[in-house]
Amino acid sequence: MSHILDISNLAIGYSKKAPLLQDINCRLVCGTVTGILGPNGIGKSTLLKTIAGLLPPLHGSVSFIGTRKVMDICAFVPSQPVRATHFSVEDTVSTGRYRYTNWLGIEKREGWQIILQALESTGISHLAGRNSADLSDGEFHRVAIARALVQDTPWILLDEPTAFLDIANKKATGALLRKLASDKQKGILFSTHDLSLAAEYCDRFWIMTPDGVFHQGTPDEMEKTGIIEQLY
Amino acid sequence: MKKLWVPLLLLLLVAADLFIGSVRLPFSDVWSAITGNEVSEFTCRIVWNFRIPKMITALLAGMSLAVCGAQMQTLFRNPLADPYVLGISSGAGLGVAFFVMGSSLLGIGSVVRWLSDLGTASFAWLGALGVMLIVVAASARLKSNMTLLILGIMIGYAGSALIGLIQYFSDAPALKSYVLWTMGSFGNVTGTRLIIMTVLCITGLLISIYNIKDLNVLLMGEQYATSLGIPVRRIRNRIFLATTLLAGSVTAFCGPIGFIGIAVPHLTRMIFNNTNHRVLIPASALIGACMMILADIISQLPGSGSVLPVNTVAALMGIPVIIYVILKNRAVRL
Repeated sequence: MSHILDISNLAIGYSKKAPLLQDINCRLVCGTVTGILGPNGIGKSTLLKTIAGLLPPLHGSVSFIGTRKVMDICAFVPSQPVRATHFSVEDTVSTGRYRYTNWLGIEKREGWQIILQALESTGISHLAGRNSADLSDGEFHRVAIARALVQDTPWILLDEPTAFLDIANKKATGALLRKLASDKQKGILFSTHDLSLAAEYCDRFWIMTPDGVFHQGTPDEMEKTGIIEQLY
Repeated sequence: MKKLWVPLLLLLLVAADLFIGSVRLPFSDVWSAITGNEVSEFTCRIVWNFRIPKMITALLAGMSLAVCGAQMQTLFRNPLADPYVLGISSGAGLGVAFFVMGSSLLGIGSVVRWLSDLGTASFAWLGALGVMLIVVAASARLKSNMTLLILGIMIGYAGSALIGLIQYFSDAPALKSYVLWTMGSFGNVTGTRLIIMTVLCITGLLISIYNIKDLNVLLMGEQYATSLGIPVRRIRNRIFLATTLLAGSVTAFCGPIGFIGIAVPHLTRMIFNNTNHRVLIPASALIGACMMILADIISQLPGSGSVLPVNTVAALMGIPVIIYVILKNRAVRL
C-alpha cells in the first residue's frame, strides 16, 4: 500500500485564533472513494486545499507515506476551474502533463494517448477541438477532471465535482471516480452536497458538523450514528 | 500556414521602412546603397546610418513591447496589463527626469549635455531596474499576483508624482528635453547603443520563449499552477526579468512607447484565435513588429522632411484597432 494519506492533529482555516476545524486525525489508502460532507462554510474546500498543499495547515500535519512532494501525489480539481479563451479543450487538458512534457510544453506521442484516454473516460472526446470558453460549466468541469486524470497521480482531490452537472452526468462522474479507485487503485477524495451520490459511490464519509467535530466512517456507520439525519 | 500573410506583411513593411523616409530618395538609389553598388555618399549615409538602424530599432521595440505585454496580461490575468504596469515606465522616466531636469536644478546642466544621449539611456535603464528590484523584493513577500499588480501601480504613481515635482522646479529647456524623450524616437539608436539594445532585447525574447510552458499554466490561474507543483514566485521573477530586459531597454533607448504592449496581444488573439503561448508569443512579436514599423513609416511623414513623435502615431494608429476588437468581440478576454 503506497502513498497512504496520513492526517495527524490537523487544524485548518485562515487564522490560528479561529480555526475552522481542528484535531483531525485519519488515514486513507489508495483505491478508496471518500466523500466529504457538511454544510456550506464548514471548511470542506479548505480541508481539500490543505491536503493538496495549496494552504498551510494551522497545526498538525498532512503527509503521504512513501513520498515527500505532495504535488507529485495529488491532482486537485477546484470547484470553479479557471478557463482561458481561445484555448482548445485538448490543449487545456494537456497542461496537466506539465511535468512530463519538454521545456516548451510539447507532448510526446504516448502522452497524447493518455490525453485522448482521459478525454474518452470523461466523455468529452467530441469536445477535443472546441474552444474552452464556449463550453457550459458542466462540460468544463469534466475538462478539469480530465486534466487531473492526465497528471497521473495516485490521489485525486475534487472540490464539488458534480456541482454544475445534470443528473445523468452526475452519475457518470460518480461512476468514473468509482472506476478509477477500483481499476486503477487511485485514492479519490471529494466534497459534495449530494448525499445520494455520495452514498452510492463512496467507501467512506468524512462529515464535518457545525459543532466543530470531524466524523469519519463507512456510509452505514455514519447513518447509524444519526449524524446524516441531523445534517440533512 | 493560414497566417503566412503576417510574416509576409512584416517583410513588406521592413522594405517600405527602408525605401520610404522623411527625405525623398529614388528607390533604385536605396537599393544600390543596400546592395553595396555605387551610389552617392549622401544616400549611402542616410540608408546605413539612419534608415537601417531605425528599422532594426522599430522591429526590436515592437517585438519586445508586444511580447512583454502578452506576458504581463497572462501573469496578472488582466486584459489592461501592459509592459509598464509594474512601474517600469515611471522608473525609467524618473531616471531620465533626474538626469535631464535634476541636473539643471543642481546647476550642472552643461556637464550633463556633454554626456550625450547614452547618459539618458543609462539613467532610464537604471530607473527601470530600480523599480523592478523593488517589485521583485516585494514579490518574495507577496503571494498573490493581484496584490503585486496593485503594488506595481502604486510604485508607478509614486514615480509619476516625483517626476511632477522635478518638472515643477526645473527650467524650460530641461523640461522640453524631458517632454521630447517621453514622445519616443527611434532616430537616436545607432552604433554602440543599437548593439546594446539588440543584445538586451534578444536576451529578453529568449527568456520569454523559455517562459511559454509556464505561461500556459498560469493562464489557468495561480492555484492550478501551484497544484501542479510549479514554483509560481520563481517563475514570476523570471517573467519580471524578461520584462525589465525588454520594456526597460526599449524605454531607455526609445522613450516610453505606449499602446503597442497593451493592444498587440489582443489583436494577436483575435487574428490567430489562439491563446496558447506557443502561438501567442511568436505571433505577438510578429504583429508588434509590423505595428511598430508601420507607426515608424507614418511618423516619417514620407517626403515631407519633418518627423512626428512615434509614440503619438502608434497610439493614434492603434486605438481604432482596439475599439474595433472590442466592438467585434463585445468584450476583451484572455
